Amino acid sequence: MTGLFTKLGLAAGLALVTATSGLAQDLPKNLRVVIGSTSTGGDTYQAASFVADAISKHFGINAKVDAVGPTEAFKAIARDRRGTTIMIHHDQSYLGHLYGVKGYEDIFATYKIGPTLTINPGNAYLVPKKSPYQSISDVLDAAAEGTRVRVAIQPGGVSEIGFSALKNAAKIKKPGSEKNLVPVNTGSQADKDQLLFDGQADVINGSVQSNEQYTRLPEDDQKAMRFIWLTAAQETLDQVNEAGLGGTSREALLQYATPKSSVTLDGEKDFTFDKDFFIIYNKDIDPALVEAIDAGLKEIYAEGAIEKSMKDAFFVPHFMPSKEATTYLEKKRDDYRKVIEAIRE
Amino acid sequence: MNFTSFPRVSINFETSHLVFPTLISILLGILLLAILATRWRAIWGALTTGPHWPAGIDHLRFFGTIALTVLYFLAMPQIGDLFPNEGYGFLIASIPFLFLMSLLYLHQRTRRYIVITAVNAVIAPTVVWYMLSTVFNLTLP
Amino acid sequence: MDFLSLITPLFLVLILCGTMIGIIFGAIPGMTATMAVAVCLPLTYSLGLENGLALLLGLYVGGISGGLVPAILLNIPGTPASIATTFDGYPMTQRGEGESALKVAIFASLFGGLFSLVVLYLFAPALADFAIQFSYVEKFLIIFLALTVMAALSSSMLIGIFSGVLGILVSLIGAYDVSRGGNGEYRLMFDFMEPYLSSGFSLLPVLIGVFALSSILIEAEAGVPENAGARKIALDQGKKFHLSVFSGQWKNLFRSASIGTFVGLLPGVGGSAASIMSYSQAKAFSKNPRSFGKGNPAGIIASETSNNGLTGGALIPLLSLGIPGDATTAILIGAFTLQGIQVGPLFIGDNLEIWNAMIVAMLFANVCMFAIMYFAIRHIAKIVTVPKYILLPIILMMCVVGSYTINYGIMFDVWTLLIFGLFGYLAYHIGLEIAPFVIGFILGPSAEIYFLKSLESFGTVSIFFTKSWIAVVLWVLIAISIGLSVWMSRSGARHHDET
Repeated sequence: MTGLFTKLGLAAGLALVTATSGLAQDLPKNLRVVIGSTSTGGDTYQAASFVADAISKHFGINAKVDAVGPTEAFKAIARDRRGTTIMIHHDQSYLGHLYGVKGYEDIFATYKIGPTLTINPGNAYLVPKKSPYQSISDVLDAAAEGTRVRVAIQPGGVSEIGFSALKNAAKIKKPGSEKNLVPVNTGSQADKDQLLFDGQADVINGSVQSNEQYTRLPEDDQKAMRFIWLTAAQETLDQVNEAGLGGTSREALLQYATPKSSVTLDGEKDFTFDKDFFIIYNKDIDPALVEAIDAGLKEIYAEGAIEKSMKDAFFVPHFMPSKEATTYLEKKRDDYRKVIEAIRE
Repeated sequence: MNFTSFPRVSINFETSHLVFPTLISILLGILLLAILATRWRAIWGALTTGPHWPAGIDHLRFFGTIALTVLYFLAMPQIGDLFPNEGYGFLIASIPFLFLMSLLYLHQRTRRYIVITAVNAVIAPTVVWYMLSTVFNLTLP
Repeated sequence: MDFLSLITPLFLVLILCGTMIGIIFGAIPGMTATMAVAVCLPLTYSLGLENGLALLLGLYVGGISGGLVPAILLNIPGTPASIATTFDGYPMTQRGEGESALKVAIFASLFGGLFSLVVLYLFAPALADFAIQFSYVEKFLIIFLALTVMAALSSSMLIGIFSGVLGILVSLIGAYDVSRGGNGEYRLMFDFMEPYLSSGFSLLPVLIGVFALSSILIEAEAGVPENAGARKIALDQGKKFHLSVFSGQWKNLFRSASIGTFVGLLPGVGGSAASIMSYSQAKAFSKNPRSFGKGNPAGIIASETSNNGLTGGALIPLLSLGIPGDATTAILIGAFTLQGIQVGPLFIGDNLEIWNAMIVAMLFANVCMFAIMYFAIRHIAKIVTVPKYILLPIILMMCVVGSYTINYGIMFDVWTLLIFGLFGYLAYHIGLEIAPFVIGFILGPSAEIYFLKSLESFGTVSIFFTKSWIAVVLWVLIAISIGLSVWMSRSGARHHDET
């Protein structure tokens, strides 16, 4: 019976401790930050840990990032109305829905959108260094002339949206030519790179971070690549450190982005895609909590330390409080919906 | 998958999720038929004669293990939900679970063994909880 | 020799700590090297890159090695890569040679780790260029080769293959993974299962379910007999370990270490394939293949040499292509990027100091791993003398912790443990084979993706034979592996008839 008493006593003691510590009515003492990625080496984890660390310090709480992946992350915040679990994800969360990927709902209807946090400006398209395509307009020209161009992407989201924009631009340039841009559906960055090495793709989706060193290899190396397009907006790239990344300066990166490398959205404006990271809450979360996090983040970003660490890691800080963020992301969603619908066969 | 001009095949990406499961299911079916064909006597014999449930098993310990495990799994998230993200669900549910399981498996339930069991039931989950939840900052139920 | 200034006492202490923590993580069923590295990753921000890497590499080497302990002593693979260690390790423990088996495994691990380190140091860029010759087609054939071991593992070839194919089918449940290039559509399940099974059953809970929970159920069914006297004798009675076990094993050591290193450097193929393949190759080339699976130290040597061979191998694509070779090195990338260091084809040339420091860290981690495990063995091996009424509930609790934490807190993974524990129990009674089932389950998703993507890219089945000379070599190995299984099962049947 001793065991029973010990355990009852322990349970009661624990209950008392938590009950009293829960009295302070701001942020939960233990905040679980779930992310829509299962990787702890990827950009989502990195972005989330910048923010979780800053929130932990600012509010004196323990915020912990759990890489549970999109399905489980959505489930976790759907269950938790108290706001002890929040989610950090990027544009995939609504692009997945636009592309009709299983497991993605309309986040604007099902959840509450929190503040935006940061942008990864690195989304890029590359060709082998020996490729005849010198720029993204060469690719569009080739498609218009009837050449089949194979583009390796991961379907159903962030990796596909640039490809959809390319098809859209090809259609505007010469209706019907978008059929010459064919997707090679694949998975990880390694798989996309491999398709380029094998000659099974002419263009691949990649990123400045993971592919920059390949662009510095000599041309006779089978692995050598060349950037032809960055999807980030000019304003975004302008905020990147001047040194850029690795051996490629900001100046050089800007050559591959709009307006110098242009992929049109509607014949006038250029298409851009900035990969935004933002918080997603349970629909019924206490508005006071949303306010508190907005206010806290505002102070954190004003202090500037987070800005430096983000920029060092090739992220662009981009804080917008919840309300503005919702409008901003809805606008983004509407733009991309148009692109995706325009090329739907 | 379209086999019209073998060995050339074309795969439609939209339905490609069914190709491999179909191939594997067919293979599994063939293997099942092969097993039935070669061993139908033994299988038929086992189905018609022998007892359907292994005889002479320890019903209390076997079903007790399953019942306690199910209860344990059900209780953990429920208790944990009372103290969000603290891992107490694991801690509070594990102590009685460990105690009862050990009690179930004990053959001589003397005072000495029960004390050992109880001490173990308190210490083991507490150490695990402390190490994982506090030191390594892992999420527990 | 500038990098020598990086090697401070702190650097060495961190490697030692990392290795120790890694071994503990690896030794707990369900906790893996990957998890050890993931939980310690945040610590590296404050440590700086070299010291952070020292800790993480220690964790990596320790975590991969620790898996051998429960595999040998409890028949539970501590990590997926140690599954083949159970085949011969546990029979040795049952014979009372647990301690000896552990020592064999530790020597083998050390050899595998050092071998792959030398390869990493001398040939990293060249091997990375070789690795990119492996397209979907060759990767499919590698997986296929690893799958052929199913036939050789079981007492009945037909039942073994059936169990393995069933494992593949179960692994396909859920979405056709978008992140690996699938279309994200669900298959093999009903709509109501969607919230739980959208990404299928996770590997680790399945693995420890069929190995650990099912054996607890089988014990419970037998009434959890305690036999303390017999156990004590068993621990002391077995053959003592002697280095002579390794004489005549040089070929096995080098072959297994090479397979481990090589599979490690192929992104996406995975560590479990390496140890399974080494095991089957060791069996295929052995003079006495029938003794495998009954406590032959050569089986442990094959498995453990190759899974430690992975450590150096998986770092090759990471450091010379910027592509992680396995799940653990995928997390290491985070350590680099957070410190603002780019990994890619120019990494080694641009960061010679870090590169050298990493090599030293790996070397020291392997030595620490060996020292810690070798001297702790006497105590570790005593785990089999803990009475079952204490041991079994604790194992069950640790399996729960492992299942829950492996994907950072998913309750369904805990239920998966129970589902597959019951499945393992039933399989035991109706005569299905667990090891082929698990191998099929582990390799199924890779087999699917590489098979389909090969056909999608090339549009013809004949590509599997005509892609490259590598494909032809792999077919030869596959033929040897299948031929051997058929021969063994034939002569086994004849042997059976005669008696």
